[in-house]
Amino acid sequence: MRISALLALLLAVPALHAGFFSSDESSETKVKCVYSGTDGHCVEPILKSQNELVITVIGQGVAPSVTSSPAQAYALAKRAAMVDGYRLIAERVKGVQVEGQDTIKNMMLQQSSTRTSVEALVRGANIMNTTFKEGLCEVEMEISLSYSRVLH
Amino acid sequence: MRSRNGNLPFLLTSLALSCTIAFGADNYYIGYRLSAKNTQAIHENLTVSKAMRPCLPENTASVIIFKCAPQESLESVLKREQTAFLEFAASDELRVKSNDFFASAQIQTLNSLTLPTKCYAVEFNDESVTITATK
Repeated sequence: MRISALLALLLAVPALHAGFFSSDESSETKVKCVYSGTDGHCVEPILKSQNELVITVIGQGVAPSVTSSPAQAYALAKRAAMVDGYRLIAERVKGVQVEGQDTIKNMMLQQSSTRTSVEALVRGANIMNTTFKEGLCEVEMEISLSYSRVLH
Repeated sequence: MRSRNGNLPFLLTSLALSCTIAFGADNYYIGYRLSAKNTQAIHENLTVSKAMRPCLPENTASVIIFKCAPQESLESVLKREQTAFLEFAASDELRVKSNDFFASAQIQTLNSLTLPTKCYAVEFNDESVTITATK
């Protein structure tokens, strides 16, 4: 009886250790930091009354092939990048409406199309950084959400 | 509670705002619309109109200052400093509308940004113009 209990204890201790360590590792790999908090730590993508939710996106815009000057190319690419950035913010905050349509004839797919649309009023988004390289402009935008802003 | 050093810029900004709005500032309605197709800006429209009635100031107004030549109109200043003004105004409020279409052989995106037409107090000085969001 004592021997079996001792054996069970000896087997249980490493198993518990393995379980604890493996659960920690799996939880670390499973949690994906989508939003970063103001202090740089990963926060849950749920707006709570205690914390502030900071959403960062990178909008991309391309300069037109025909422009009168490099400055105009930069300005137009930045505009397009801002539009893309605002769209990404709206997508994350409000969501995307997706509509798909498939046409099937004689049990064969004839046509497939998808439409996505976003419409939102964005308040308090800021441009943090702008880069322009080889005709591609990238704008890093940030919006912080908190209860005080939402209820304002 | 604000520190003593932190209060001074706040007070100065409030004073400048009050002076700008109270003395010699004209009110203008400014709106903006930008369309982009396939990540390229295709159309933008900036509308500026002088207000027929004075606008009421709001509590948390923001200010931007541009350099301008004497006798330069607000339209020309805004066209020259359009990017800076857009960033200033867009941080407050902006409407975004996006429609994407994906089919077998084509992908098309059409996005538009609309800055709702708002009233701004505009004060022209000798070499600068101060624009304050009022409503």
